[in-house]
Amino acid sequence: MSKVKVLVVDDEVEFATTLAERLNIRGFETTACFCTEDALALIHAKDIPDVVLLDLKMPHMDGMETLEEIKKYNPTIEVIMLTGHGGGIPLIGAERKKYSPFDCIMKPADINDLTTKINQAMAKRQIAINRGEGK
Amino acid sequence: MRKKPGWIKKIFFDVEDYHESMTSPERYRRFRRTLSLVMIAAFLVPLILTTMLSYYAYRSNMLAYLRWNAESATKTIETFLTELQTVLLYTAEGHTYEELINQDNLNELYHRLKTHYPGVVDLGIIDHKGIQRAYAGPYELAGKNYSDRECCKTSSAGKTVIGKIELGYRNVPHFCISANVFSRTSGKSWTFRTGIDAATLDKYIDNLSTSPLSDIFLVSRKGEPLLQSTSQIYGSPLTPYPFELPSNRIGVTISEERGVWDYVVLKAVSYIEGTPWALVLVKHGYLYGKDWSFFKARLFFIVMISTLLALFVILQITKLFVGRIREADEKRESMMAEVEHTSKLASIGRLAAGIAHEINNPLAIISAKTGLITDLLELSGDFKYKEKIGSEIHGTANAVERCKVITHRLLGFARRMDVSLESISVNNLMKEVLSFLDQEAMYRGINVDLELGESIPIIESDRGQLQQIFLNLVNNAIDAIGKDGKVTIKTKKLDENSIQIDVVDNGKGIPQNIISHIFEPFFTTKESMEKKGTGLGLFITYGIIKKLGGHISVRSTVGVGTTFSVILPVKINLSRRAHDVESESPGG
Repeated sequence: MSKVKVLVVDDEVEFATTLAERLNIRGFETTACFCTEDALALIHAKDIPDVVLLDLKMPHMDGMETLEEIKKYNPTIEVIMLTGHGGGIPLIGAERKKYSPFDCIMKPADINDLTTKINQAMAKRQIAINRGEGK
Repeated sequence: MRKKPGWIKKIFFDVEDYHESMTSPERYRRFRRTLSLVMIAAFLVPLILTTMLSYYAYRSNMLAYLRWNAESATKTIETFLTELQTVLLYTAEGHTYEELINQDNLNELYHRLKTHYPGVVDLGIIDHKGIQRAYAGPYELAGKNYSDRECCKTSSAGKTVIGKIELGYRNVPHFCISANVFSRTSGKSWTFRTGIDAATLDKYIDNLSTSPLSDIFLVSRKGEPLLQSTSQIYGSPLTPYPFELPSNRIGVTISEERGVWDYVVLKAVSYIEGTPWALVLVKHGYLYGKDWSFFKARLFFIVMISTLLALFVILQITKLFVGRIREADEKRESMMAEVEHTSKLASIGRLAAGIAHEINNPLAIISAKTGLITDLLELSGDFKYKEKIGSEIHGTANAVERCKVITHRLLGFARRMDVSLESISVNNLMKEVLSFLDQEAMYRGINVDLELGESIPIIESDRGQLQQIFLNLVNNAIDAIGKDGKVTIKTKKLDENSIQIDVVDNGKGIPQNIISHIFEPFFTTKESMEKKGTGLGLFITYGIIKKLGGHISVRSTVGVGTTFSVILPVKINLSRRAHDVESESPGG
């Protein structure tokens, strides 16, 4: 079974690279991006991740918009939101609900919680792929 | 706002000037005193003016009545005398001098006159020299010389003259009416003299007396004033009248004198034309005074009663009025304090959350880095200090963990979360909350009682957050007791739109100097306990309750216990809640 591909998107370079490295140690194939544009470019370049760890608040385009873009492109990609301020997500209106993230975790997150969530998200994606969605 | 006139402002000192001592008792006492005085003055001045006016109106009424009485009595006497004079003149002119000096003729005339006028005492015919030539009557007066008598000297032909009351030759009080007649045959004038009994005049004047309250009599106006008719006060005719007559001879003169026992004597004097008399009408002291003093007493009584009544009412009203103002002022002050407190908490919350947010990102980096170091340590082989580095990193990670708890809780207060509304039975929710804490309470020997009110409406709110609120409050109550005690949870319906939940403990209570700070972040009293608090529990509870459109308050007595009261709306006003959340969260 191939490695789970994880994309970490966070404008805090140190945080993103360190987290990516820790996840790699735990057997994930992790890439780090420091802005949403790079992340979207990567996804559009057919390097499709299984799970995206997405910072909620970033310059230019915030996490929620990025989530929307990713889900529009491929709904089976699971997104876990990371937030530095309050664990909640402003889920307002049906449009937002339509593109809900897999979960939302507050920084600093425990690495074990994180890997558990990633695996759960991956399992969900696998089911969706098996059903033939998103292709 | 309309500006108060300056003088009112001066009397009721300006509220703004005394802001510091807004609710000091002295200020309200002063206000009440001033208000009472102004109201009493405003009441008493018109009352006194009205009283004085009616006093003078009554007095002038009395005087006018007296004047009218005197005038009409004078007119009546004048008419009576004029009629008598006319009759006598007519009788005299109907005969000649020669006819009348005949004794038989005179006697007959005398008897005829006496039949019609019983007051006629005698008749006499006096020649131009003043010698009485003929006389008819009960006395022996023929041949008497009357030349020195005024009535015979001053009259001219065709005129009559009335003399004053005198004793004369008869030694009986009487007065004379003399009619002067000119004889064409002898070319000389003679006098037809009629003596009239003073008692007749007395009787007549007595009839004029309008009421037993007054004394009416005649006084001679030439020389020493002598009574000319009987007076109730001064006696019978010819007694000296003890007062001077007024010099004013026309109309009625009214004077006022102090009589016996200091009563006022009102006296009206009017000269009767064509006579030597003045009419005196006296309203004497006690007769007149009875009426007058009754009026004065009644007036005094009315004034006293209404003054006392007004004083009572004014004092009561000002007490009530000032009390209400004071109440309103105090209410306003406490509301201001509450608003200040709330906004202070909100700004502290914003500040704390802002700082937490800024710290959280670097904290995440530290956390990730220490994690990575730990990972790498595990992957690498043995080397010198590996264990030491591992334990140091572990210490760092623990410190980061502690920071994380704080930042997460702070951010939890401020975070913009989606409140998920559902219908909640508060009574059931309390039972649920209690089920979480039963074990803990039992372990500590604490009784938790539920006093759940009946007919409490189902409210619309967030179940999870309400659970958090009451878990926190009950937990605090248990901590406040420590060991062995009682926590009571009471629910009740406050009104149609709100319910109240009280969490009551009989713990050690919160000192007054602390109670105003308990909702502030990082404020804790649990430091000495094994489970050290972060000081954020009540701060977060406060935030959630505000977010749910509710209100929390606390009452505490040291040594007795503490009651936290939470008021929740039955239905959350969404727009208001959104506004509150916006203003209390740091945003972002």
